[in-house]
Amino acid sequence: MRKLALLLSALMLAALMVPGLALAQAKEIKLGAIYPLTGGAAAEGRELRAGVELAVEIANNVMAGIDMDMAKNAGIKSLGGAKITVIFKDHQGNPQLGADLAKKLIEDDKVVGILGCYHSSVTKTVAAVCERFEIPMINDSSTSPALTKSGFKWFWRTTPHDTQFTKDLFEFMKGLTEGKAKGVPAVPMAEIKTLAAACEKTEWGTNVSETIKQFAGEYKFDLAANLLYAAKSPDLSAEVQSLKAANPGAMLFASYTSDAILMMKTLQSMKASPKLLWGQDAGFEAPEFVSTLGDLTVGVLTRTVFTPQVAQVKKVAGQVNELYKKKTGIDLSGPSARSFTGLQAWVHVLEKAGSTEPKAIQAAANAITIPGEQLVVPWFGIKFANMGDDIGQNTLGTGMIGQYQKKGDKITLEIVYPFDLATSNMVYPFKGF
Amino acid sequence: METLLPELLRSLVSGLLMGMVFALVALGLTVIFGVMDIVNFAHGEFLMIGMYTTLVTAPLIGVDPTLTLPLAGVVGAALGLACYFGVVQFLLRGPMVAQLLGTFGLMLVLRNLALLFMGSEPRSVHKGWLVGQSWLVGPGVVLESTKLAAAVLSIVSFVAVWWLIRRTKTGMALTATSLDKEGARYVGISTERMNGLAWAIGGASVAIAGGLLVNFWPVDPNVGLLFTMIAFATVALGGFGSIRGAFLAGILIGLIVSLPTVWDAFIRYAGLGDLSIHSFKYTFVYIIYFLIMVIRPQGLFGWKQ
Repeated sequence: MRKLALLLSALMLAALMVPGLALAQAKEIKLGAIYPLTGGAAAEGRELRAGVELAVEIANNVMAGIDMDMAKNAGIKSLGGAKITVIFKDHQGNPQLGADLAKKLIEDDKVVGILGCYHSSVTKTVAAVCERFEIPMINDSSTSPALTKSGFKWFWRTTPHDTQFTKDLFEFMKGLTEGKAKGVPAVPMAEIKTLAAACEKTEWGTNVSETIKQFAGEYKFDLAANLLYAAKSPDLSAEVQSLKAANPGAMLFASYTSDAILMMKTLQSMKASPKLLWGQDAGFEAPEFVSTLGDLTVGVLTRTVFTPQVAQVKKVAGQVNELYKKKTGIDLSGPSARSFTGLQAWVHVLEKAGSTEPKAIQAAANAITIPGEQLVVPWFGIKFANMGDDIGQNTLGTGMIGQYQKKGDKITLEIVYPFDLATSNMVYPFKGF
Repeated sequence: METLLPELLRSLVSGLLMGMVFALVALGLTVIFGVMDIVNFAHGEFLMIGMYTTLVTAPLIGVDPTLTLPLAGVVGAALGLACYFGVVQFLLRGPMVAQLLGTFGLMLVLRNLALLFMGSEPRSVHKGWLVGQSWLVGPGVVLESTKLAAAVLSIVSFVAVWWLIRRTKTGMALTATSLDKEGARYVGISTERMNGLAWAIGGASVAIAGGLLVNFWPVDPNVGLLFTMIAFATVALGGFGSIRGAFLAGILIGLIVSLPTVWDAFIRYAGLGDLSIHSFKYTFVYIIYFLIMVIRPQGLFGWKQ
């Protein structure tokens, strides 16, 4: 009798568990997203999160009026309509914390893959964890070139990196001297030949600083000052004084949000007067940059991967932006457009893999081509390099350079490069402070 | 030489001004330590609250941010008193570790309250007498209005606090309390009240500093951290509890952090090219701090062991 009872209960338990397991597998795919949700880059973190959440919503539901493949199915079709769930974690800009969170996501939450992490320094440690656990990671928004130089087998990056972006800058300046910029007659080389750069000194800024140095040599510019500074610094007047002393035609920056704002305020009060002022995205593209500094930003250039102006040339970008604006009250920007694209890449990879096995995902990621017309960002598409010295890097990405301009009483980021995509006449020279 | 000298002069002026800002921020910390032997880890958060006070009240009352400084002082003093009578006086019964951890906890609480109520994004004052103002003097020396005002305020506060402590009866009671608590109690000084006073002065002075700094620095809940580290180095360098020491150490640190600029000017003058040392500027501060701690643990002007 006892044996029978035991057998019965074992059977019942098994009966309960089996469909439960099958259901869980079919209905939910867990991804982990690690972003800076608090701390100095919390503003960007909020946007990154909102971008991911919108992409998840579109992937999990059939959305009419959005011309994307992932809007046509509810969930991942090849996985029986499984829905995507994203677990968000906050790394606060701290690489060590990022690595710990990645371990937790993999071991405790059993995520299928990781998305993140914005700060290149954090992405570096998280990618190393993923490599060790053989869990795939897609990076949407970190631009340090070194990240795809390690030959990682479980790391793919959708965004173009700083070598490309910095090259864009020098192409742009060269074009400026050749009269290619919209609405600006050819600028004499002597006016912008002397450069001064200040980059924050973590993984990302240090790499930008090096690529600036490299391209300045190649394009025959004169880099008179090239300094690194601590983003968490209460004062930047010594740095600005050094930049000013170089008497540059163009000032170049790689800054996160609060230091970008402090840098601009210090430049203003120290009466710096460059002809061009360019920022490598990040802080220079954060909404706080404009909302805090207001008219001070007019004429400032920033490399970007997305401005709402893209909607003028790309219909699907306008459709997604409309939805995003309804949810958050603000337009898509560099961080949100790229985190959206990162999650979208995950959807396409999972769809192609038809499995949540790491090996299958790896094979799918290495083979996938997502056409440009699917994306909100103005790229040719997404295709990851699986050979050469930039393994895992999207080879079809492109950058843009935007300029803050005043239209009525609103400040918008107009596209000035690539020259054939320009949405407005460029303002040159920078009016000064 | 014609490029090097003005550059030196510029760095000297900017270093002096910045140094006085550092000194101003450190003043409250040294007052509290001098009287009570307590290190207030929440010092930077007092600064942050001073910044938010000005940021929020100026548009609310409709006056220039500079005019809200007294209000920031009142808020800071009230906060200091609340912290002392609400938390710190109980910590005094416990061991040293309890005091350290207690003010550390206070720091976390204040920071997260700010996060809760003010949000995480940096905010700044857009309009005001001091916002974005600066003057060119002499050979390209720029005087920034905020730093100039902070420097003036710094001198005024140091003189005021020095006068209060050296020349008034209350000040003597404060000094007595810091020298010998038991003794002070025997001669009828309410040491409880003196401690509270020290926290009020400390809180008020740093909150006023915050109210002034927000004209230039964007404020977010973590802003205190930037200044706290420097304030600790300043106070330790000058000698814990020494008013004069904090002032001179502040200026010393201001000059140290402008060293990289002088160096840059020098290597450009000497044609040595690309050897910038800006990324190490705080390293020098902490190296000097470390050396002082090893050679002279009581600090440059300290008398407490």
